[in-house]
Amino acid sequence: MNRRAAVVDRFRGQARTPAGALFWRVFVINGLVFTIGTLALALSPATVSTHIRLTEIPVLVVGLAAILAANALLLRSSLAPLDQLASSMSRVDPPRRSDRIDDRGTGDLRHLIASFNAMLDRLETERTSASGSALAAQEAERARIARELHDEIGQSLTVALLALKRAVDKAPTGLRGDLHNAQDAVRGSLDEVSGIARRLRPDVLEDLGLHSALNALCSEFTQATGVDVVKHLDAHLARLDPNIELVCYRVAQEALTNVARHAKADKVRVDLHATDEHLTLRIADDGTGGVVTAGAGITGMRERALLVDATLTIDSSSSEGTQIRLIVPVHVQSRPR
Amino acid sequence: MTRQPARILLADDHAMVRSGLRLILDAEPDLQVVAEAANGYEAIAALTHTPADLAILDIAMPRMTGLQAAREITRSHPHVKILILSMYDNEQYFFEALKAGASGYVLKSVADRDLLEACRATLRGEPFLYAGAVTALIRDYLHRARHGESLPATILTPREEEILKLIAEGDTTREIGNTLSISAKTVDRHRANILKKLGLRDRLALTRYAIRSGLIEP
Repeated sequence: MNRRAAVVDRFRGQARTPAGALFWRVFVINGLVFTIGTLALALSPATVSTHIRLTEIPVLVVGLAAILAANALLLRSSLAPLDQLASSMSRVDPPRRSDRIDDRGTGDLRHLIASFNAMLDRLETERTSASGSALAAQEAERARIARELHDEIGQSLTVALLALKRAVDKAPTGLRGDLHNAQDAVRGSLDEVSGIARRLRPDVLEDLGLHSALNALCSEFTQATGVDVVKHLDAHLARLDPNIELVCYRVAQEALTNVARHAKADKVRVDLHATDEHLTLRIADDGTGGVVTAGAGITGMRERALLVDATLTIDSSSSEGTQIRLIVPVHVQSRPR
Repeated sequence: MTRQPARILLADDHAMVRSGLRLILDAEPDLQVVAEAANGYEAIAALTHTPADLAILDIAMPRMTGLQAAREITRSHPHVKILILSMYDNEQYFFEALKAGASGYVLKSVADRDLLEACRATLRGEPFLYAGAVTALIRDYLHRARHGESLPATILTPREEEILKLIAEGDTTREIGNTLSISAKTVDRHRANILKKLGLRDRLALTRYAIRSGLIEP
Protein backbone atom coordinates (compact mmCIF):
# COMPACT_ATOMS: atom_id res chain seq x y z
CA MET A 1 0.00 0.00 0.00
CA ASN A 2 2.77 2.44 0.95
CA ARG A 3 4.73 1.78 -2.20
CA ARG A 4 1.64 2.32 -4.27
CA ALA A 5 1.00 5.59 -2.53
CA ALA A 6 4.57 6.69 -3.16
CA VAL A 7 4.26 5.75 -6.82
CA VAL A 8 1.03 7.67 -7.08
CA ASP A 9 2.68 10.67 -5.44
CA ARG A 10 5.60 10.60 -7.82
CA PHE A 11 3.42 10.40 -10.84
CA ARG A 12 1.01 13.02 -9.64
CA GLY A 13 1.07 16.09 -11.80
CA GLN A 14 2.45 14.29 -14.83
CA ALA A 15 -0.14 14.04 -17.52
CA ARG A 16 1.40 11.06 -19.30
CA THR A 17 3.75 8.84 -17.43
CA PRO A 18 5.64 5.82 -18.72
CA ALA A 19 3.61 3.44 -16.69
CA GLY A 20 0.53 5.61 -16.23
CA ALA A 21 -1.54 3.40 -18.44
CA LEU A 22 -0.22 0.36 -16.62
CA PHE A 23 -1.01 1.94 -13.27
CA TRP A 24 -4.56 2.65 -14.29
CA ARG A 25 -4.99 -0.83 -15.68
CA VAL A 26 -3.76 -2.46 -12.50
CA PHE A 27 -5.83 -0.09 -10.40
CA VAL A 28 -8.94 -0.77 -12.47
CA ILE A 29 -8.37 -4.51 -12.36
CA ASN A 30 -7.93 -4.48 -8.62
CA GLY A 31 -10.83 -2.11 -8.23
CA LEU A 32 -13.11 -4.30 -10.33
CA VAL A 33 -12.13 -7.41 -8.51
CA PHE A 34 -12.68 -5.87 -5.10
CA THR A 35 -15.91 -4.24 -6.21
CA ILE A 36 -17.28 -7.49 -7.60
CA GLY A 37 -16.19 -9.28 -4.44
CA THR A 38 -17.93 -6.72 -2.25
CA LEU A 39 -21.06 -6.75 -4.39
CA ALA A 40 -21.09 -10.54 -4.31
CA LEU A 41 -20.83 -10.40 -0.58
CA ALA A 42 -23.54 -7.75 -0.25
CA LEU A 43 -26.03 -9.25 -2.67
CA SER A 44 -25.54 -12.93 -2.13
CA PRO A 45 -27.45 -14.92 0.35
CA ALA A 46 -24.20 -15.54 2.20
CA THR A 47 -23.79 -13.61 5.38
CA VAL A 48 -20.94 -12.73 7.67
CA SER A 49 -21.90 -12.57 11.27
CA THR A 50 -20.16 -10.55 13.93
CA HIS A 51 -18.58 -13.68 15.27
CA ILE A 52 -17.68 -15.81 12.31
CA ARG A 53 -19.54 -19.08 12.24
CA LEU A 54 -17.85 -22.17 10.94
CA THR A 55 -20.10 -22.46 7.90
CA GLU A 56 -19.16 -19.00 6.75
CA ILE A 57 -15.43 -19.70 6.64
CA PRO A 58 -15.44 -21.79 3.43
CA VAL A 59 -17.41 -19.02 1.72
CA LEU A 60 -14.90 -16.43 2.77
CA VAL A 61 -11.97 -18.65 1.79
CA VAL A 62 -13.44 -19.39 -1.63
CA GLY A 63 -14.23 -15.73 -2.15
CA LEU A 64 -10.70 -14.67 -1.21
CA ALA A 65 -9.16 -17.35 -3.40
CA ALA A 66 -11.27 -16.21 -6.34
CA ILE A 67 -10.24 -12.58 -5.82
CA LEU A 68 -6.54 -13.49 -5.53
CA ALA A 69 -6.62 -15.76 -8.59
CA ALA A 70 -8.38 -13.18 -10.73
CA ASN A 71 -5.91 -10.51 -9.60
CA ALA A 72 -2.90 -12.70 -10.28
CA LEU A 73 -4.04 -13.72 -13.75
CA LEU A 74 -4.91 -10.21 -14.89
CA LEU A 75 -1.76 -8.65 -13.44
CA ARG A 76 0.50 -11.29 -14.99
CA SER A 77 -0.71 -10.58 -18.48
CA SER A 78 -0.37 -6.83 -17.92
CA LEU A 79 3.14 -7.02 -16.55
CA ALA A 80 4.51 -9.52 -19.09
CA PRO A 81 5.89 -6.76 -21.34
CA LEU A 82 8.06 -5.60 -18.45
CA ASP A 83 9.87 -8.93 -18.49
CA GLN A 84 10.38 -8.60 -22.18
CA LEU A 85 11.77 -5.13 -21.68
CA ALA A 86 14.15 -6.32 -18.99
CA SER A 87 15.55 -9.08 -21.16
CA SER A 88 16.01 -6.66 -24.06
CA MET A 89 17.88 -4.29 -21.80
CA SER A 90 20.21 -7.02 -20.71
CA ARG A 91 21.08 -7.71 -24.36
CA VAL A 92 22.23 -4.15 -25.07
CA ASP A 93 25.92 -4.24 -25.89
CA PRO A 94 27.33 -0.79 -26.61
CA PRO A 95 29.84 -1.49 -29.36
CA ARG A 96 27.20 -3.23 -31.44
CA ARG A 97 24.06 -1.73 -32.79
CA SER A 98 21.16 -2.85 -30.61
CA ASP A 99 17.79 -3.86 -31.93
CA ARG A 100 15.11 -1.46 -30.96
CA ILE A 101 12.18 -3.09 -29.18
CA ASP A 102 9.01 -3.38 -31.13
CA ASP A 103 6.44 -1.11 -29.47
CA ARG A 104 3.47 -1.83 -31.63
CA GLY A 105 1.38 -4.33 -29.72
CA THR A 106 2.09 -3.57 -26.12
CA GLY A 107 -0.36 -0.78 -25.42
CA ASP A 108 0.34 0.05 -21.82
CA LEU A 109 4.05 0.09 -22.07
CA ARG A 110 4.26 1.83 -25.40
CA HIS A 111 5.48 5.02 -23.86
CA LEU A 112 8.02 3.24 -21.68
CA ILE A 113 9.36 1.36 -24.67
CA ALA A 114 9.54 4.52 -26.75
CA SER A 115 11.52 6.14 -23.94
CA PHE A 116 13.84 3.15 -23.83
CA ASN A 117 14.41 3.24 -27.56
CA ALA A 118 15.11 6.96 -27.40
CA MET A 119 17.61 6.32 -24.61
CA LEU A 120 19.35 3.72 -26.76
CA ASP A 121 19.57 6.29 -29.56
CA ARG A 122 21.14 8.82 -27.23
CA LEU A 123 23.55 6.22 -25.84
CA GLU A 124 24.72 5.18 -29.27
CA THR A 125 25.09 8.76 -30.46
CA GLU A 126 27.06 9.63 -27.35
CA ARG A 127 29.22 6.54 -27.68
CA THR A 128 29.86 7.26 -31.33
CA SER A 129 30.84 10.84 -30.72
CA ALA A 130 32.95 9.95 -27.69
CA SER A 131 34.85 7.25 -29.50
CA GLY A 132 34.96 9.52 -32.53
CA SER A 133 36.73 12.16 -30.51
CA ALA A 134 39.05 9.59 -29.01
CA LEU A 135 39.93 8.08 -32.36
CA ALA A 136 40.35 11.49 -33.98
CA ALA A 137 42.67 12.51 -31.16
CA GLN A 138 44.61 9.29 -31.60
CA GLU A 139 44.97 9.77 -35.35
CA ALA A 140 45.98 13.42 -34.89
CA GLU A 141 48.65 12.42 -32.40
CA ARG A 142 49.93 9.70 -34.72
CA ALA A 143 50.03 12.13 -37.63
CA ARG A 144 51.98 14.63 -35.57
CA ILE A 145 54.53 12.07 -34.49
CA ALA A 146 54.85 10.66 -37.99
CA ARG A 147 55.40 14.12 -39.39
CA GLU A 148 58.11 14.90 -36.86
CA LEU A 149 59.84 11.60 -37.52
CA HIS A 150 59.65 12.14 -41.24
CA ASP A 151 60.41 15.84 -41.48
CA GLU A 152 62.96 16.19 -38.75
CA ILE A 153 64.72 12.96 -37.89
CA GLY A 154 64.36 11.49 -41.37
CA GLN A 155 65.75 14.55 -43.08
CA SER A 156 68.62 14.92 -40.62
CA LEU A 157 69.62 11.32 -41.21
CA THR A 158 69.52 11.94 -44.96
CA VAL A 159 71.80 14.93 -44.56
CA ALA A 160 74.16 12.73 -42.51
CA LEU A 161 74.16 10.09 -45.25
CA LEU A 162 74.99 12.62 -47.94
CA ALA A 163 77.76 14.13 -45.80
CA LEU A 164 79.20 10.66 -45.20
CA LYS A 165 79.24 10.03 -48.94
CA ARG A 166 81.31 13.13 -49.53
CA ALA A 167 83.62 12.03 -46.70
CA VAL A 168 84.01 8.57 -48.25
CA ASP A 169 84.91 10.10 -51.61
CA LYS A 170 87.64 12.19 -50.04
CA ALA A 171 88.86 9.73 -47.41
CA PRO A 172 92.05 7.70 -47.59
CA THR A 173 91.44 3.99 -48.21
CA GLY A 174 92.21 2.98 -44.64
CA LEU A 175 89.36 5.07 -43.36
CA ARG A 176 86.73 3.90 -45.80
CA GLY A 177 85.78 0.74 -43.92
CA ASP A 178 84.75 2.69 -40.84
CA LEU A 179 82.91 5.24 -42.93
CA HIS A 180 81.01 2.50 -44.75
CA ASN A 181 79.96 1.06 -41.41
CA ALA A 182 78.73 4.47 -40.36
CA GLN A 183 76.79 4.78 -43.62
CA ASP A 184 75.13 1.39 -43.07
CA ALA A 185 74.16 2.32 -39.53
CA VAL A 186 72.64 5.62 -40.61
CA ARG A 187 70.86 3.95 -43.50
CA GLY A 188 69.42 1.35 -41.16
CA SER A 189 68.13 4.07 -38.85
CA LEU A 190 66.58 5.95 -41.71
CA ASP A 191 64.75 2.83 -42.87
CA GLU A 192 63.44 2.16 -39.38
CA VAL A 193 62.27 5.72 -38.94
CA SER A 194 60.50 5.63 -42.30
CA GLY A 195 58.84 2.36 -41.40
CA ILE A 196 57.59 3.65 -38.07
CA ALA A 197 56.29 6.84 -39.64
CA ARG A 198 54.52 4.88 -42.34
CA ARG A 199 52.74 2.61 -39.88
CA LEU A 200 51.65 5.58 -37.82
CA ARG A 201 50.30 7.66 -40.65
CA PRO A 202 49.66 6.06 -43.99
CA ASP A 203 50.73 8.84 -46.34
CA VAL A 204 49.89 6.65 -49.27
CA LEU A 205 46.25 6.69 -48.19
CA GLU A 206 46.08 10.47 -48.14
CA ASP A 207 48.13 11.02 -51.24
CA LEU A 208 47.04 8.18 -53.47
CA GLY A 209 43.77 6.84 -52.12
CA LEU A 210 42.33 3.64 -50.69
CA HIS A 211 43.08 1.42 -53.68
CA SER A 212 46.82 2.16 -53.59
CA ALA A 213 46.94 2.05 -49.81
CA LEU A 214 45.39 -1.44 -49.74
CA ASN A 215 47.85 -2.58 -52.40
CA ALA A 216 50.66 -1.28 -50.23
CA LEU A 217 49.30 -3.05 -47.13
CA CYS A 218 49.14 -6.34 -49.02
CA SER A 219 52.73 -5.99 -50.28
CA GLU A 220 53.95 -5.26 -46.79
CA PHE A 221 52.07 -8.29 -45.54
CA THR A 222 53.59 -10.51 -48.22
CA GLN A 223 57.01 -9.12 -47.47
CA ALA A 224 56.65 -9.83 -43.76
CA THR A 225 55.09 -13.29 -43.97
CA GLY A 226 55.96 -14.67 -47.39
CA VAL A 227 52.29 -15.40 -48.00
CA ASP A 228 50.71 -14.07 -51.19
CA VAL A 229 47.55 -12.02 -51.00
CA VAL A 230 44.90 -12.47 -53.66
CA LYS A 231 43.41 -9.06 -54.31
CA HIS A 232 40.16 -8.10 -55.96
CA LEU A 233 40.01 -4.35 -55.64
CA ASP A 234 37.52 -2.34 -57.68
CA ALA A 235 39.61 -0.50 -60.19
CA HIS A 236 37.58 2.64 -60.73
CA LEU A 237 36.93 3.71 -57.20
CA ALA A 238 36.33 7.41 -56.79
CA ARG A 239 37.91 9.16 -53.82
CA LEU A 240 35.72 8.76 -50.77
CA ASP A 241 35.28 10.74 -47.62
CA PRO A 242 38.66 10.68 -45.85
CA ASN A 243 37.08 9.27 -42.68
CA ILE A 244 35.64 6.33 -44.59
CA GLU A 245 38.95 5.66 -46.33
CA LEU A 246 40.79 5.80 -43.02
CA VAL A 247 38.37 3.41 -41.32
CA CYS A 248 38.70 0.90 -44.17
CA TYR A 249 42.47 1.22 -44.08
CA ARG A 250 42.74 0.74 -40.32
CA VAL A 251 40.36 -2.24 -40.36
CA ALA A 252 42.37 -3.87 -43.14
CA GLN A 253 45.61 -3.06 -41.33
CA GLU A 254 44.37 -4.60 -38.08
CA ALA A 255 42.94 -7.64 -39.87
CA LEU A 256 46.15 -8.36 -41.75
CA THR A 257 48.23 -7.82 -38.63
CA ASN A 258 46.11 -10.40 -36.84
CA VAL A 259 46.49 -12.86 -39.70
CA ALA A 260 50.24 -12.36 -39.70
CA ARG A 261 50.50 -12.83 -35.95
CA HIS A 262 48.05 -15.61 -35.17
CA ALA A 263 46.47 -17.30 -38.12
CA LYS A 264 49.20 -19.39 -39.71
CA ALA A 265 47.36 -19.00 -42.97
CA ASP A 266 48.40 -20.17 -46.42
CA LYS A 267 45.90 -18.16 -48.39
CA VAL A 268 44.74 -14.64 -47.79
CA ARG A 269 42.21 -12.71 -49.81
CA VAL A 270 41.27 -9.03 -49.82
CA ASP A 271 38.22 -7.72 -51.68
CA LEU A 272 37.00 -4.18 -52.12
CA HIS A 273 33.78 -3.53 -54.02
CA ALA A 274 31.63 -0.45 -54.32
CA THR A 275 28.05 0.05 -55.39
CA ASP A 276 26.20 3.34 -55.41
CA GLU A 277 25.12 2.74 -51.85
CA HIS A 278 27.67 0.56 -50.15
CA LEU A 279 31.36 -0.09 -49.97
CA THR A 280 32.27 -3.63 -48.97
CA LEU A 281 35.69 -4.61 -47.68
CA ARG A 282 36.38 -8.26 -47.08
CA ILE A 283 39.48 -9.89 -45.64
CA ALA A 284 39.52 -13.67 -45.49
CA ASP A 285 42.14 -16.21 -44.55
CA ASP A 286 42.26 -20.00 -44.25
CA GLY A 287 44.08 -20.05 -40.95
CA THR A 288 43.29 -21.30 -37.50
CA GLY A 289 40.38 -19.01 -36.78
CA GLY A 290 39.10 -18.59 -33.24
CA VAL A 291 39.37 -14.83 -33.27
CA VAL A 292 35.90 -13.99 -32.03
CA THR A 293 36.79 -13.10 -28.43
CA ALA A 294 37.35 -9.39 -28.54
CA GLY A 295 40.84 -8.15 -28.02
CA ALA A 296 41.82 -4.49 -28.16
CA GLY A 297 42.23 -4.72 -31.92
CA ILE A 298 38.77 -6.10 -32.61
CA THR A 299 37.13 -3.59 -30.27
CA GLY A 300 39.00 -0.84 -32.09
CA MET A 301 37.66 -2.13 -35.39
CA ARG A 302 34.10 -2.11 -34.08
CA GLU A 303 34.43 1.41 -32.73
CA ARG A 304 35.79 2.70 -36.00
CA ALA A 305 33.00 0.95 -37.90
CA LEU A 306 30.39 2.59 -35.68
CA LEU A 307 31.98 5.94 -36.47
CA VAL A 308 31.02 5.78 -40.13
CA ASP A 309 27.76 3.91 -39.56
CA ALA A 310 29.24 0.73 -40.95
CA THR A 311 28.54 -2.88 -40.01
CA LEU A 312 31.43 -5.14 -39.13
CA THR A 313 30.95 -8.90 -39.11
CA ILE A 314 33.57 -11.40 -38.08
CA ASP A 315 33.16 -15.08 -38.84
CA SER A 316 35.84 -17.27 -37.43
CA SER A 317 36.11 -21.03 -37.12
CA SER A 318 39.01 -23.41 -36.92
CA SER A 319 37.85 -25.33 -39.97
CA GLU A 320 37.20 -22.43 -42.31
CA GLY A 321 39.51 -19.69 -41.11
CA THR A 322 38.45 -16.15 -40.51
CA GLN A 323 36.47 -13.68 -42.55
CA ILE A 324 36.11 -10.03 -41.66
CA ARG A 325 33.57 -7.99 -43.55
CA LEU A 326 33.02 -4.26 -43.33
CA ILE A 327 30.03 -2.73 -45.10
CA VAL A 328 30.00 1.06 -45.22
CA PRO A 329 27.11 3.15 -46.51
CA VAL A 330 28.45 5.67 -49.01
CA HIS A 331 27.37 8.07 -51.64
CA VAL A 332 30.08 7.45 -54.18
CA GLN A 333 30.70 10.44 -56.36
CA SER A 334 30.49 9.53 -59.99
CA ARG A 335 33.17 11.90 -61.21
CA PRO A 336 36.50 10.19 -61.68
CA ARG A 337 39.65 11.05 -59.70
CA MET B 1 85.17 18.81 -77.44
CA THR B 2 83.86 18.61 -73.89
CA ARG B 3 80.13 18.15 -73.53
CA GLN B 4 78.37 20.73 -71.44
CA PRO B 5 77.38 19.34 -68.06
CA ALA B 6 73.72 18.40 -67.78
CA ARG B 7 71.68 21.18 -66.21
CA ILE B 8 69.80 20.12 -63.12
CA LEU B 9 66.89 21.67 -61.22
CA LEU B 10 66.85 20.56 -57.61
CA ALA B 11 63.62 20.79 -55.59
CA ASP B 12 63.34 19.78 -51.93
CA ASP B 13 61.71 21.60 -49.04
CA HIS B 14 64.53 20.83 -46.62
CA ALA B 15 67.38 23.28 -47.15
CA MET B 16 70.11 21.10 -45.69
CA VAL B 17 69.10 18.12 -47.81
CA ARG B 18 69.21 20.36 -50.87
CA SER B 19 72.68 21.60 -50.06
CA GLY B 20 73.91 18.06 -49.34
CA LEU B 21 72.58 16.88 -52.71
CA ARG B 22 73.99 19.91 -54.49
CA LEU B 23 77.49 19.33 -53.18
CA ILE B 24 77.41 15.76 -54.46
CA LEU B 25 76.02 16.71 -57.86
CA ASP B 26 78.27 19.72 -58.45
CA ALA B 27 81.33 17.60 -57.67
CA GLU B 28 80.66 15.58 -60.82
CA PRO B 29 82.07 16.98 -64.08
CA ASP B 30 79.05 15.98 -66.14
CA LEU B 31 76.39 17.34 -63.79
CA GLN B 32 75.62 20.87 -62.68
CA VAL B 33 72.83 22.28 -60.52
CA VAL B 34 71.49 25.43 -62.21
CA ALA B 35 68.41 26.09 -60.08
CA GLU B 36 67.00 25.23 -56.67
CA ALA B 37 63.44 25.27 -55.38
CA ALA B 38 61.74 24.62 -52.05
CA ASN B 39 58.37 23.47 -53.41
CA GLY B 40 56.54 22.52 -56.59
CA TYR B 41 55.48 26.07 -57.48
CA GLU B 42 59.00 27.40 -57.21
CA ALA B 43 60.26 24.48 -59.28
CA ILE B 44 57.92 25.24 -62.17
CA ALA B 45 58.63 28.96 -61.93
CA ALA B 46 62.37 28.27 -62.03
CA LEU B 47 62.00 26.24 -65.20
CA THR B 48 60.41 29.16 -67.02
CA HIS B 49 63.54 31.31 -66.49
CA THR B 50 66.25 28.68 -66.37
CA PRO B 51 66.38 25.87 -68.91
CA ALA B 52 67.25 22.48 -67.48
CA ASP B 53 67.73 18.93 -68.71
CA LEU B 54 66.83 17.11 -65.52
CA ALA B 55 64.50 17.94 -62.64
CA ILE B 56 65.07 16.19 -59.32
CA LEU B 57 61.87 16.52 -57.27
CA ASP B 58 61.25 15.53 -53.68
CA ILE B 59 57.84 13.87 -53.45
CA ALA B 60 56.73 15.49 -50.20
CA MET B 61 56.81 19.23 -50.60
CA PRO B 62 54.34 21.82 -49.35
CA ARG B 63 52.09 23.88 -51.61
CA MET B 64 52.65 21.59 -54.57
CA THR B 65 53.98 18.06 -54.20
CA GLY B 66 56.63 16.45 -56.34
CA LEU B 67 54.03 14.33 -58.14
CA GLN B 68 51.88 17.34 -58.98
CA ALA B 69 54.93 19.26 -60.15
CA ALA B 70 56.02 16.26 -62.25
CA ARG B 71 52.67 16.19 -64.03
CA GLU B 72 52.87 19.90 -64.72
CA ILE B 73 56.46 19.72 -65.94
CA THR B 74 55.65 16.77 -68.22
CA ARG B 75 52.92 18.93 -69.71
CA SER B 76 54.68 22.25 -70.07
CA HIS B 77 58.33 21.21 -70.42
CA PRO B 78 58.19 17.73 -71.98
CA HIS B 79 61.90 17.65 -72.81
CA VAL B 80 62.89 17.83 -69.13
CA LYS B 81 63.57 14.42 -67.64
CA ILE B 82 62.22 13.85 -64.16
CA LEU B 83 63.73 11.99 -61.24
CA ILE B 84 61.70 11.64 -58.06
CA LEU B 85 63.40 11.61 -54.70
CA SER B 86 61.43 10.08 -51.88
CA MET B 87 61.40 8.82 -48.33
CA TYR B 88 58.59 6.42 -49.17
CA ASP B 89 59.82 2.89 -49.70
CA ASN B 90 56.52 2.08 -51.26
CA GLU B 91 56.07 0.96 -54.82
CA GLN B 92 52.64 2.59 -55.04
CA TYR B 93 54.34 5.96 -55.05
CA PHE B 94 56.78 4.67 -57.62
CA PHE B 95 54.04 3.66 -60.04
CA GLU B 96 52.24 6.95 -59.52
CA ALA B 97 55.50 8.74 -60.22
CA LEU B 98 55.82 6.77 -63.47
CA LYS B 99 52.29 7.75 -64.40
CA ALA B 100 53.08 11.39 -63.65
CA GLY B 101 55.95 11.31 -66.12
CA ALA B 102 58.98 10.53 -63.99
CA SER B 103 61.60 8.15 -65.31
CA GLY B 104 63.30 7.41 -62.07
CA TYR B 105 62.64 7.02 -58.40
CA VAL B 106 65.36 7.13 -55.77
CA LEU B 107 64.94 6.55 -52.07
CA LYS B 108 66.56 9.10 -49.82
CA SER B 109 67.90 6.27 -47.69
CA VAL B 110 70.11 5.21 -50.59
CA ALA B 111 70.48 8.60 -52.25
CA ASP B 112 74.15 8.65 -51.39
CA ARG B 113 74.64 5.41 -53.28
CA ASP B 114 72.20 5.60 -56.16
CA LEU B 115 71.65 9.28 -56.93
CA LEU B 116 74.45 9.74 -59.45
CA GLU B 117 73.70 6.56 -61.34
CA ALA B 118 70.00 7.43 -61.32
CA CYS B 119 70.72 10.90 -62.76
CA ARG B 120 72.84 9.49 -65.54
CA ALA B 121 70.38 6.70 -66.39
CA THR B 122 67.49 9.17 -66.46
CA LEU B 123 69.40 11.57 -68.68
CA ARG B 124 70.05 8.66 -71.04
CA GLY B 125 66.32 8.02 -71.14
CA GLU B 126 66.50 4.75 -69.24
CA PRO B 127 64.17 4.14 -66.33
CA PHE B 128 65.81 3.88 -62.94
CA LEU B 129 64.03 1.59 -60.55
CA TYR B 130 64.83 1.29 -56.92
CA ALA B 131 65.16 -2.20 -55.53
CA GLY B 132 61.79 -2.28 -53.80
CA ALA B 133 59.95 -1.52 -57.03
CA VAL B 134 61.84 -4.24 -58.88
CA THR B 135 61.00 -6.71 -56.15
CA ALA B 136 57.35 -5.76 -56.29
CA LEU B 137 57.21 -6.16 -60.06
CA ILE B 138 58.98 -9.48 -60.00
CA ARG B 139 56.87 -10.81 -57.19
CA ASP B 140 53.76 -9.81 -59.02
CA TYR B 141 55.06 -11.46 -62.17
CA LEU B 142 55.73 -14.71 -60.36
CA HIS B 143 52.36 -14.57 -58.64
CA ARG B 144 50.69 -14.39 -62.00
CA ALA B 145 52.82 -17.22 -63.37
CA ARG B 146 51.88 -19.39 -60.40
CA HIS B 147 48.22 -18.74 -60.96
CA GLY B 148 48.42 -19.76 -64.57
CA GLU B 149 48.16 -16.41 -66.32
CA SER B 150 49.75 -16.36 -69.71
CA LEU B 151 52.93 -14.32 -69.84
CA PRO B 152 55.39 -13.45 -72.56
CA ALA B 153 57.87 -16.28 -73.00
CA THR B 154 61.17 -15.45 -71.38
CA ILE B 155 64.53 -17.03 -71.51
CA LEU B 156 66.27 -16.50 -68.24
CA THR B 157 69.71 -17.88 -67.60
CA PRO B 158 69.99 -20.25 -64.64
CA ARG B 159 71.74 -17.54 -62.67
CA GLU B 160 68.97 -15.10 -63.45
CA GLU B 161 66.37 -17.62 -62.33
CA GLU B 162 68.19 -18.10 -59.04
CA ILE B 163 68.24 -14.38 -58.49
CA LEU B 164 64.60 -14.07 -59.52
CA LYS B 165 63.62 -16.56 -56.87
CA LEU B 166 65.63 -14.79 -54.18
CA ILE B 167 64.23 -11.40 -55.17
CA ALA B 168 60.72 -12.76 -54.97
CA GLU B 169 61.40 -14.03 -51.48
CA GLY B 170 62.30 -10.51 -50.46
CA ASP B 171 66.04 -10.85 -50.00
CA THR B 172 68.00 -7.61 -50.20
CA THR B 173 70.73 -7.06 -52.74
CA ARG B 174 73.37 -7.68 -50.10
CA GLU B 175 71.73 -10.91 -48.95
CA ILE B 176 71.51 -12.18 -52.51
CA GLY B 177 75.14 -11.25 -53.07
CA ASN B 178 76.15 -13.17 -49.97
CA THR B 179 74.06 -16.20 -50.86
CA LEU B 180 75.47 -16.45 -54.37
CA SER B 181 78.94 -15.06 -53.59
CA ILE B 182 78.70 -12.22 -56.06
CA SER B 183 78.97 -8.47 -55.61
CA ALA B 184 76.01 -6.17 -55.07
CA LYS B 185 76.74 -4.45 -58.38
CA THR B 186 76.47 -7.77 -60.18
CA VAL B 187 73.16 -8.49 -58.49
CA ASP B 188 71.83 -5.12 -59.65
CA ARG B 189 73.01 -5.78 -63.17
CA HIS B 190 71.22 -9.13 -63.23
CA ARG B 191 68.14 -7.47 -61.82
CA ALA B 192 68.11 -4.93 -64.65
CA ASN B 193 68.57 -7.69 -67.22
CA ILE B 194 65.74 -9.70 -65.76
CA LEU B 195 63.45 -6.72 -66.08
CA LYS B 196 64.47 -6.19 -69.66
CA LYS B 197 63.75 -9.82 -70.45
CA LEU B 198 60.36 -9.54 -68.83
CA GLY B 199 59.66 -6.77 -71.30
CA LEU B 200 59.74 -4.04 -68.69
CA ARG B 201 62.54 -2.05 -70.15
CA ASP B 202 61.14 1.46 -70.25
CA ARG B 203 58.78 3.78 -68.46
CA LEU B 204 55.83 3.21 -70.74
CA ALA B 205 56.12 -0.56 -70.61
CA LEU B 206 56.38 -0.44 -66.83
CA THR B 207 53.36 1.79 -66.53
CA ARG B 208 51.30 -0.38 -68.83
CA TYR B 209 52.30 -3.49 -66.92
CA ALA B 210 51.46 -1.91 -63.59
CA ILE B 211 48.04 -0.82 -64.82
CA ARG B 212 47.27 -4.20 -66.38
CA SER B 213 48.27 -5.96 -63.19
CA GLY B 214 46.07 -3.77 -61.08
CA LEU B 215 49.03 -2.36 -59.20
CA ILE B 216 47.75 1.11 -59.98
CA GLU B 217 44.59 2.50 -61.40
CA PRO B 218 44.64 3.69 -64.98
